[in-house]
Amino acid sequence: MRLLTLSFRSLRREWHLPELRTLGASLVLAVVALGVVATLAARMERGVLASAAELIGGDLGISAPQSLPANYADQARADGLQVTQGASFPSVAFAHEQSQLLDVLATDNAYPLRGTMELSQGSGGSAVGHGPGVGTVYLDHRALVALNLKVGDSLQLGGRDLRIAAELVRLPDGGELVAMAPRALMNIADAEQAGLLGVGSRARHRLLVAGQPAPVSDWRNWVEAQTLPQGAELITPEQTQERMRSAFDRASAFLRLTALLSALLAGVAIALAAQRYARRKTNEVALLRALGTPRRQVLGLLVGTLGLLAVPSVIVGGLIALGLAQVTWSFASQLFSAIPTTLPLGPATAAAVMGLAVLAGFSLPPLARLAEVPPVAVFRESAARRVRRFDALYLVPALVALLLIWSQSGSAKLAGILAVSLVGVAIVAALLSALLLWIARRVAPGAHPALRLGLAALARRRGMSLVQATALSLGLVALLLLAIVAPAMLEGWRSELPSDTPNWFVLNLQDDQREGFEQALTRIGGNKLNMLPLAVGKLTAINGKPIDQMQFKDERAKDWADRQLRLSWASELPPRNQVIAGEWHGEHPPEAEVSIDVMWRDMYGLKVGDMMSFDIGEGTINARVGSIRKVDWTSFRVNFFLLFDPAHAASLPHTWIASFYLPRGHSEDLAQLSRDYSNLSLIDVDAMLDRVREIVNQVSGAVRWVLGFSLLAGALVLAAALASSAQERRHEAALLRTLGARRTQLRMAAACEFGLLGLVAGLTAALGAAGTGIWLGHAIFHIEHFVPPIGSLLLAAFIAALVVMVLGLAGTARVSRTSPMRLLRES
Amino acid sequence: MSGNASAISGNPQGAKGVLLDAVDVSKSVQGPEGRLDILTAVSLQVREGESFAIVGASGSGKTTLLGLLAGLDTPSSGHIALDGHALERLDEEARADLRRRLVGFVFQSFHLLPALTAEENVMLPLELEGRDDARARAREALDAVELSARRRHYPAQLSGGEQQRVAIARAFVHAPRLLFADEPTGNLDQRTGQHVSDLLFSLNQEHHTTLVLVTHDPKLAARCARQVTLDNGRVVIAPRASAAVAP
Repeated sequence: MRLLTLSFRSLRREWHLPELRTLGASLVLAVVALGVVATLAARMERGVLASAAELIGGDLGISAPQSLPANYADQARADGLQVTQGASFPSVAFAHEQSQLLDVLATDNAYPLRGTMELSQGSGGSAVGHGPGVGTVYLDHRALVALNLKVGDSLQLGGRDLRIAAELVRLPDGGELVAMAPRALMNIADAEQAGLLGVGSRARHRLLVAGQPAPVSDWRNWVEAQTLPQGAELITPEQTQERMRSAFDRASAFLRLTALLSALLAGVAIALAAQRYARRKTNEVALLRALGTPRRQVLGLLVGTLGLLAVPSVIVGGLIALGLAQVTWSFASQLFSAIPTTLPLGPATAAAVMGLAVLAGFSLPPLARLAEVPPVAVFRESAARRVRRFDALYLVPALVALLLIWSQSGSAKLAGILAVSLVGVAIVAALLSALLLWIARRVAPGAHPALRLGLAALARRRGMSLVQATALSLGLVALLLLAIVAPAMLEGWRSELPSDTPNWFVLNLQDDQREGFEQALTRIGGNKLNMLPLAVGKLTAINGKPIDQMQFKDERAKDWADRQLRLSWASELPPRNQVIAGEWHGEHPPEAEVSIDVMWRDMYGLKVGDMMSFDIGEGTINARVGSIRKVDWTSFRVNFFLLFDPAHAASLPHTWIASFYLPRGHSEDLAQLSRDYSNLSLIDVDAMLDRVREIVNQVSGAVRWVLGFSLLAGALVLAAALASSAQERRHEAALLRTLGARRTQLRMAAACEFGLLGLVAGLTAALGAAGTGIWLGHAIFHIEHFVPPIGSLLLAAFIAALVVMVLGLAGTARVSRTSPMRLLRES
Repeated sequence: MSGNASAISGNPQGAKGVLLDAVDVSKSVQGPEGRLDILTAVSLQVREGESFAIVGASGSGKTTLLGLLAGLDTPSSGHIALDGHALERLDEEARADLRRRLVGFVFQSFHLLPALTAEENVMLPLELEGRDDARARAREALDAVELSARRRHYPAQLSGGEQQRVAIARAFVHAPRLLFADEPTGNLDQRTGQHVSDLLFSLNQEHHTTLVLVTHDPKLAARCARQVTLDNGRVVIAPRASAAVAP
């Protein structure tokens, strides 16, 4: 208690010291940066999940090849969740003596639990609705056109006559690439009575649930504890909409990177301020020790003082973080609908704890050494300095930094890249500065008198110059990464989704329709047409062994073996595909070859040279695995897991699949196109594209917010680095003034000293930021061909040098006004 | 600033032989309880080549007077001329110019720069003048105070006496005409103090430097040709010849 009172008194008396204020401000900034980002990321994750939930029509679900036991739905209802059950299957509908294969979804009246289903009564305008009642059906436009029907007519489906109650305008999962045929939505009771869901049907059953996050999570745990029926799998928002997921993952990686660098910057500022505080306290500690204060108590007093400073700082930081996260969220929330609105407190609390860890880690070494100041230092200052060749305590901040990087980056790879880059920058900065100092020492005697003073000052404060240059380099590299490299990367990412990214997919195009369709599309303003053949088949054997006799560790393998696979062929490697093993087959390989995606390699343990057999239509094809590809599935292009060579596959029964870009506002033209080619399935991916673009834009905005804090943190580092030698400079300036130095001499010396310091730091930082940027761009953000803006980086490096020089000069202006009388007074 | 600086070029108006002339010099500051008079109407003259001591108890205003005489501060009223230049008419920049050319300092707490070696500390005044032979002359100066062997040592590695000898070498290295010493032996033991003061006076004689010394040590003051005694900011014993001038 007494120690606490003493600490409080000590803090009150020392609060005017700039280094204590720097410590406090750095801590607040670290907590704010970490807290805002963590809170935003937590909410955004919920938002993205909720919005993915809209796309599957519920929060969570199970999909199975047969009807699910009733206990799954019972348990969900017992958990207080809403439940809807349904099934999807292909079926042929008849009307007016015409027939059409439809993609049918049979649901109950509760569907959808999340998101909206839009219906039209045929008189223009649409309304939100739920699953159809018994005896009725909804058909989409393509189905109506194909069967020459309108709302109110009847059709036969599964042997039952059903009345068309509405036109299906939009399903929650309308953006998914699953609709092979025109769609119909019917009541599940009708489907059951018609025998469409019985044993042997090709129906895929699904159970969807929705509710509050906690019971949904309870149900999920319960389901995961059960043994799911053969072939059943959990449908989670995380696994649906992979493209949105990957956009979100990159978004949070950007945010976390920004927060992390801000926190590290704050750490550097804290380390510098603590060092200075320790130097200032040396005499006081020596006196306390001389007066008989035990070392433990001295350390307690120091820790108490800092603790009393830290606690309010992290609270203030946490509150600011929550406030800013709330403000930012209110702008971002239009992005997601129906998301939980509670402000999560956990991330800000964690940020506060991390802030304390940063303070402890970065300030511990100088303070712990301070407690070791011997009482004899009262008489002899040199006794206070215990020279250690290697001080293990200084590994503590490095360790804290590594832990911070590891805990915040959420990925060992990002952590590794950042850690190695920052350590690299620190080493290069230290080496470059040492070289500069060595040169300065040699050049100084022959240089212009004013320059000589500056060079001499730089060389004489060797240790301090090294520390300052390294700290400035680390601060600047973080700033440059955030201010120049990150926006360039964001831009690169954004440009991956240019506004003319293909926004429509077309399926079921026949050989003889290709030319006509292409011309019709060109007429209505469509472009970027990318057409590939599409065959549907089944995997039958690997290396001659029938697939149904094989055992696989990977659960997906069995599922994919049961499925109808979509297969294609090409002579050239499609864009955004990369061969990582084997060689691309080209046009005419001597034997049939197939190129597989890495997922297939992993699922079936395949390697180049293995033989795969497929049944396609009436025929079979045996192909050798010629290459393994890595496919960028985020590119919104038509991509395939399995690609044959054209020479051996072109004769297989096939249709064509195409993607194209059609500017918005062409729906009438497209409806006409759909009527002209009634067998085609047209799929609109604009909605999904919009969402991904919105996420990218939103994240860019949020990154800019956090960037603001990083800039502040960077300014603090600079201030702390300059302040760390201010006292020494003031004394030196007073002495030089007493000895008759002109103000211009002091200014020139300072300009030379800080300019060189800034130049070393700026150049090291520019190179470091460019290198780290390239590395991050390729390894973490998967931005192909990312070239860091070297010109801007170098310009920024020179500006940084200039700013350091100007700030140094500004500091010296104050210093050179120091009255020379001060020296006599200090006597 | 440059106009004032260019006016400093000799002894334009001072009496012949008088290097330092103070007339009715007063200094007061605004304290928490109103105006505080630190010096009141102090007048004195120091001639070229002589040694002059300002003595008095702690708080009598000695250091303030030394600062005013050296042009480190300006008086509230009165007139000080250094080598004929009226200090109150010069700005700080011009006074710095004058100090660089004419003045050397020795302080009670040495005021060596901790990051500089002994040799580099001595080089400082020459570097400020932009002289190319700074290192060679610094070595000579260190030689003169018998510290050649320790020229690469940092202040923290030197004893108090050695630090003060480095400070003396620095004070004499650019051959100033006037040397101000503020309690030069105040932080030293008797024997070391004796050694340092011997050095100070012998170099003073050797270089024909004018010495103005502030001390409360009567023995040290007695080694100066003349002395003045201050009490509570006033001259209580007017400048007079010391009773004995020790060698």
